[in-house]
Amino acid sequence: MTVSPSIPTFPGRILEVTLPAGPGGSPVVVGGQNALPLLPEGDHPHAPAVGMEIRTGPEELPPALAEVIGPFSGNPAALAQKCVSGWGARFLFLSLSGCNPDAGGQGVQDGAAIVREVLAATATPVIVGGCGDEDVDGRLFPAVAEAATRPVFLSYAEEKNYRLVAGAALAYGHGVVSWSPIDINIAKQINLLLADLGFPGERVLIDPLTGGLGYGLEYTYSIVERVRLAGLSGDAMLARPILCHLGDAWKAREASDASEPGWGDSALRGRRWEEATGLACLAAGADLLVCRHPENVKRLSEAAWR
Amino acid sequence: MALTALDIYKLLPKTNCKECGFPTCLAFAMRMAAGKATVDLCPHASGEAKATLGAAASPPLPKVLIGAGEREVVLGDETVLFRHEKTFCHPSAVAISVRDDLPDADFAARIEAIRGLAFERVGQRISVDLVALRCVSGDAGKYARRAGAAFEATGLPLVLLAPAGPLAAAADAVGASRPLLSPPPEDLEAGARLAAARKLPLRVRARGMGGLAPALATAREAGAASLVADPAPECAREAVADATTLRRLAILARNRDLAYPSAFDLGNGFPDPFLAAALLIAKYGSLLVMDTADPADLLPLLTLRQNLFTDPQRPIQVEPGIYPIGAPGESSPVLITTNFSLTYFTVRGDVEAARTPALLLISDCDGMSVLTAWAAGKFTGESIARQLAECGIADRVAHRTLILPGMVARLSGRIEELSKWRVLVGPQESSALPSYLRRLTAAAFAPSRG
Ligand code: B12
Ligand code: SF4
Repeated sequence: MTVSPSIPTFPGRILEVTLPAGPGGSPVVVGGQNALPLLPEGDHPHAPAVGMEIRTGPEELPPALAEVIGPFSGNPAALAQKCVSGWGARFLFLSLSGCNPDAGGQGVQDGAAIVREVLAATATPVIVGGCGDEDVDGRLFPAVAEAATRPVFLSYAEEKNYRLVAGAALAYGHGVVSWSPIDINIAKQINLLLADLGFPGERVLIDPLTGGLGYGLEYTYSIVERVRLAGLSGDAMLARPILCHLGDAWKAREASDASEPGWGDSALRGRRWEEATGLACLAAGADLLVCRHPENVKRLSEAAWR
Repeated sequence: MALTALDIYKLLPKTNCKECGFPTCLAFAMRMAAGKATVDLCPHASGEAKATLGAAASPPLPKVLIGAGEREVVLGDETVLFRHEKTFCHPSAVAISVRDDLPDADFAARIEAIRGLAFERVGQRISVDLVALRCVSGDAGKYARRAGAAFEATGLPLVLLAPAGPLAAAADAVGASRPLLSPPPEDLEAGARLAAARKLPLRVRARGMGGLAPALATAREAGAASLVADPAPECAREAVADATTLRRLAILARNRDLAYPSAFDLGNGFPDPFLAAALLIAKYGSLLVMDTADPADLLPLLTLRQNLFTDPQRPIQVEPGIYPIGAPGESSPVLITTNFSLTYFTVRGDVEAARTPALLLISDCDGMSVLTAWAAGKFTGESIARQLAECGIADRVAHRTLILPGMVARLSGRIEELSKWRVLVGPQESSALPSYLRRLTAAAFAPSRG
């Protein structure tokens, strides 16, 4: 007996985006699909890619992370090498968190120097994240754009700063991550604004803001699904690869609290908290995941099928 | 596909006799299209109209009930493919397995561990839903006794994974608790006859859609009415594809032969069960059987389920009002926050940890977090001043000092302008409240003279 299931077909296709690598490294290519994720239908030329975050600021790591990345704290270049050659990260998300005045207060030039070091230490594609302080980021992104010795992506361009970030990226041949606070209309708007500036769509990723498991994940899940459906249905401004940053998962009490015996081993639980967040993002349609636990590079890549 | 008002109208007598309680046949058709009326109100509808409209009104994915009473589990009965289209209604049920051949003490310990898999999150209890009893012994008497013991100890409905003989024995023992019969494929017919005779739900397991179609037909022919489809995938990837196909057949094609709630056995050596379970919670798994009873696995999975099955139109929220913590008196601190459950329970927990009796004011912010509510204009100097004036807090305390969330420090001036209250800006994260409250001196809450 044959059963013919209803397979929806879509008029649109997600734009293919390449995160360039240095000499000898492998670029990451995502996008290009015309179907929903994880399903054996339509074209999926590229599997989602899993990368790792490197933070430059001092921070108290949850137990699950302290064990594995703790030894690299204060040494972004060494961590970068380990992420790539030891743990299989396909790209790096370098958060210049140390440039935030509340967290260490490295100067803008220190941040730019770290970017250069990391780029020298590995040939893997790199996305450089700001520090979250509007003022500092306004100086940091141009400095990073200039300092980077090869093309990277700058994260993030939002309504307030997109001219500056996109301008710096254009001048030096970088890409940008367009950011919006879990809102499909703002996501579209910022992509329109970038397009109006003449920024090439093939160098834009969408970051819809990822709420962690138990702390807003459901909002992200539905926004990612809606952005993807809109893109596949023909909305060119949303037909872009989606990046989900799983960092918020580690802010959950459940990801680190060791005082509740009924919750099971906190090291495994923390890892699972990030993993479940990432799996939900993949199911919704994410093309790039940024995780922090090395084991989750492997775990999430298992589900990142085409 | 759902019928339009016009499709429905064409099936009605078009005499406008008003006996249905609506002025015209068309008005009645419009109500039906909106899902607000059913065809039986029209005494003149033809048999064909009744059949067509009756079928269209029944849920596209049938509802299957397992268990009875408080712990009853509902599978299926979903109406959309994406939660943003409306909402997902019936959370993926999670069954934790136990083998019937374990020594008594191990069996009891395992059952106890399953019973412990219940957690409180944002005021809701999230827990595993069923116990799946795997027949390994092959001994019908033993299997039936273990079924009785598992049900008695947990009160959870059972999934009976057993060949025909032990299955029948267990159905004798615990049939009244409405377990899900889950025979292996080779015992499908016997299992289906048992399900028919005892009016119990049946899980039909066969490989892929090609296997399920005839197997489900066999079960129906044997008289089993309440069915769950297990496509027996070999890996997570196949499972997601199968679950999606079943759900699409129900919602997009209104298929009645295959479109049943789905079940997956992620134990017994299934590769990477955690990964498969997380993906199936997102993508259409109705029932998941798992071998792990580790809370470090289950708390994240149950939280994911809680997240994805909340109504996107309505965040989980609490009633606005005054919430006493401990036994507050007239000089106890007054704190304010929003009525988003996540915010409320986080702040409440942190105030409790401070061991200082306090009064917590909960603002009506449509269930939004502090910053979200502020950004949406629902948590403002005006709204807070109004609440302070109207909620009766002035009669509960002698002082006029309000502790504001640190994230909205900018509201303090406006509140002080519009009310008689003085504002103290609290920490940004409520986790800092215990030390913050301890540092505050009693003078902060001395009776006011204004
Ligand atoms: C999930 C989310 C949403 C959800 C809503 C969730 C909900 N029910 O509230 C959705 C998607 C609907 C949403 C919408 C919007 N959002 Co929003 N959202 C978030 C997100 C990701 C998480 C919020 C959350 O759940 N936090 C968890 C709760 C527990 O936090 P909380 O309530 O603040 O409580 C903490 C503290 O405030 C403190 N605390 C709380 N009460 C008290 C009381 C006292 C006395 C003290 C001392 C402390 C204290 O302790 C708590 C624990 O730490 C945040 C970003 C982030 N990661 O925080 C953005 C965020 C809050 N959103 C933001 C924005 C801008 C918006 C929108 C305006 C965007 C838009 N135009 O659509 C809308 C506004 C709503 C609208 N118009 O409909 C901004 C706010 C910007 C700002 N700095 O003010 C944020 C910060 C994102 C950002 N970085 O831009 N959002
Ligand atoms: S009872 Fe039937 S025939 Fe009469 S008005 Fe209503 S729908 Fe029309």
